[in-house]
Amino acid sequence: MASSKKAIPWIIAGAVGLVAILLWKPTVLIYGVQRAGLYAAIALPMGLAEGILHIVNLAHGELLMVAAYITYSLAQALGLDPLLALFPAMIAMAIVGYLLYQLTIRKALKGPELNQLILTFGIGIALSQIITLIYTSRTRKLHLDYVSSSLTIGQTSFGIWDFTFVALAILMTIGIRLFLSRTKLGKAAVAVGQNPRGAAIVGIDVQKTYSLVFTASVVLVGIAGSFFLTRQSIFPGVGSPFTMKSFSLIAMAGVGSISGVLYSSLALGIAEAIINGIPGMSGWSDIVFFLIIIITIAVRASRTRQS
Amino acid sequence: MKRVSSFILPVVLVLAAVVFPLVLGPYPQTVARTVFKYMALALTWDMLFRSGQVSFGVAGFFGLGTYATVLLAVKAGFSFPLAMLLGAVIAAVFAYALGFLVLQLRGTYFSITTLALAEIFRVILRNWTSFSGGPEGIVLQQIVFGGQSKALYWLNLGVLLVVLLVSVWLENSKFHFALTSIRDNEVSAQTSGVNIFRTLLIVFTITAFLQGLVGAVDVVSYGYAMPDSAFDANYTLLPLAMVLLGGEHSTWGPVIGSVLLGVASEYLKLKIPYGHLLVYGVIIILVILFMPRGLLGFFRRKKGANRG
Amino acid sequence: MAKLTTKKLTKQFGGLVAVHDVSFSIVSGEILGIIGPNGAGKTTFINLISGIYAPTSGTIKFEGKDISVMPAHERAKIGIARTYQLIHPMEDLNLLENVMVGFLFAGNKSMKEARLAATELCTEMGLERLEREVSQLTMLEVKKMEIAHALANTPKVLFLDEIMAGLNTDETKEMIALVKRLARERNLAVGVVEHVMGVIRELTDRVIVLEAGEIIAEGPYEIVSKNKRVIEAYLGGATDAEN
Repeated sequence: MASSKKAIPWIIAGAVGLVAILLWKPTVLIYGVQRAGLYAAIALPMGLAEGILHIVNLAHGELLMVAAYITYSLAQALGLDPLLALFPAMIAMAIVGYLLYQLTIRKALKGPELNQLILTFGIGIALSQIITLIYTSRTRKLHLDYVSSSLTIGQTSFGIWDFTFVALAILMTIGIRLFLSRTKLGKAAVAVGQNPRGAAIVGIDVQKTYSLVFTASVVLVGIAGSFFLTRQSIFPGVGSPFTMKSFSLIAMAGVGSISGVLYSSLALGIAEAIINGIPGMSGWSDIVFFLIIIITIAVRASRTRQS
Repeated sequence: MKRVSSFILPVVLVLAAVVFPLVLGPYPQTVARTVFKYMALALTWDMLFRSGQVSFGVAGFFGLGTYATVLLAVKAGFSFPLAMLLGAVIAAVFAYALGFLVLQLRGTYFSITTLALAEIFRVILRNWTSFSGGPEGIVLQQIVFGGQSKALYWLNLGVLLVVLLVSVWLENSKFHFALTSIRDNEVSAQTSGVNIFRTLLIVFTITAFLQGLVGAVDVVSYGYAMPDSAFDANYTLLPLAMVLLGGEHSTWGPVIGSVLLGVASEYLKLKIPYGHLLVYGVIIILVILFMPRGLLGFFRRKKGANRG
Repeated sequence: MAKLTTKKLTKQFGGLVAVHDVSFSIVSGEILGIIGPNGAGKTTFINLISGIYAPTSGTIKFEGKDISVMPAHERAKIGIARTYQLIHPMEDLNLLENVMVGFLFAGNKSMKEARLAATELCTEMGLERLEREVSQLTMLEVKKMEIAHALANTPKVLFLDEIMAGLNTDETKEMIALVKRLARERNLAVGVVEHVMGVIRELTDRVIVLEAGEIIAEGPYEIVSKNKRVIEAYLGGATDAEN
């Protein structure tokens, strides 16, 4: 493949960079990878809904947050560990996703894209406000022993629970790719995403494809949300930065590329960790993310404009 | 040529607005000032929206205007009028420069990027403590006009009138055709001679100037700037809801929407301190699903149906 | 002298070559037919000339000047106009306003001048009640509006992309007469993409045939229509199947 020849200098640069980081502060690499896992696990469901089906959903981060809250309540009410409460939470999120699609998004798909944009923006606001009304804006946190488990290699000590997100992200990537290439519904989704009218002509039930795959993506972000709860304190606004970050990762990976999301998450996760590792710079790490994103999107956009 | 009758209602309303503080006291004036602020922002949001582009960055330029003004006044000793004007100019300069990057994008990419920009401004000002005072912000030595309610009211009204005039001018000049054709069919607009990039850049810069100006007035009226309040997401959310409710792509629509929602929000804030923003979210959802052209469009269609 | 020429014009999208080494020229007052099977690259060709696409290689010259990299809106100003196959008029503008756009921007007229010029043009084309919304127009009126919209550029070169599609026999006759009149009266160079051969026969002085992005034949319709390669291009699969 011609493109892999071009990638070689980048790979070498990347390898050199990674070694440099390891020598400077190994924890930066570790936390970078862990953070990348978190970002990827949250962004991949959007890769399915937006990247494949081109459903714009600005409420993505809020759905993450809602899942976390649902898991929280289930865990409290049933006295379960959140990872067990994950299962009933998945069912709840499936209902939420399905209803969301049928009641609102379905109609907006008929109009121009900006209708979906504004509609889901409103849905995101509504969801975070509903959660605020039910739970107030007080942060909630579960205290779980296994989350603070750590490992020590030589001089370096680091938390290992966050690797769960990396595993989750990898599983999601494999799962989504298999779904898209091996299952009937998955292949239908790819067809519908590329050409809805064409797909309808060859006999694909377009509405069923949209509603089921969208629901699936909501269930996936819900799983990420349940895991999120184990690690982070949650409050109604906790999900919203992830909408933008997920969108940016998709854009950077290239719309439609699922494994690309892993790479872009890795790049951004490590970049963020590097900034966080520099003393006094930790507040700036968010910017690195946004800046790299804006530059990538702009470069890509200017390249397509020229054709 | 527009008929005289279409001028009467606006003139009457403006006169009423000018006379308002002579009749009603400080609390209604404060409510009105808030309505004016959001009305101005709603109008500027709609101006860009007339090209079909959804900006989520209003808070960004509002905040830039706020901070530029306060920094010029506190650190460079500029007088208030000069600081406000320059503050707005600085917001416009940022928009102009960033426009070269951002206006290459369309649709969701554009919108998300404007959101990211606003966030970047906020994070920079929040962290660059030596320059901007960090999360604590900066306080002005004094409030403009000594905080006199009537004077503040007229200042806000004055800026709003400027924004209204710009909006009306856009509706009646070549820009109306340029923006509408870009919105309806960009390719066909191009082959009819519309320089899309230049049109968008001009509108983007003008609206950023106006948003910065509203921010400038806000900061001298309240006397302080803080990153989380200057770049408050409400400044993006509410104008959007107001335009959608009142009626998009017009001057009257944002006016109607901001009066309705602005007054309602004062009431809601008292009754439901938590989660009153839910109403805006629900309004956005309902309008997009059932009444995409807003109240104005709804009534226009009814009038049309009765005639036809 | 030729008004518009292209030399070895090529457009490639990734791996797909849509237009390959197309060299042609057109003079004022002539009506050139552009025909070819579906997917031959006719619309891409027009997009290249109007500036929607930038060429991968090759040149486009207008009145002797190289415009290969000139942006679309500037090409509109110097006198190039086209209509679109999938007609999508500006729905938020009424009939008259749709026609005004070209006068305002390509022609850089004032609002008042543009309104006057657009009214005149619409009347000339047989359009009336110009304050109507686009949704209230008949198919023929929409097509006329499309042409008027393009003519508002005051062009020297005009490309019509399947403008006759969907019209009945009488309407087609009216359109043919209209296009002929416009070309002669305004000394326009007109390129006409059409699928109906009867229209091409009636309307055009000369024809070029595109297949898979290349010109495979050129000349008056009578001759081109008998060209074996052209016939094969149109029948394509049927001939292969027989072999």
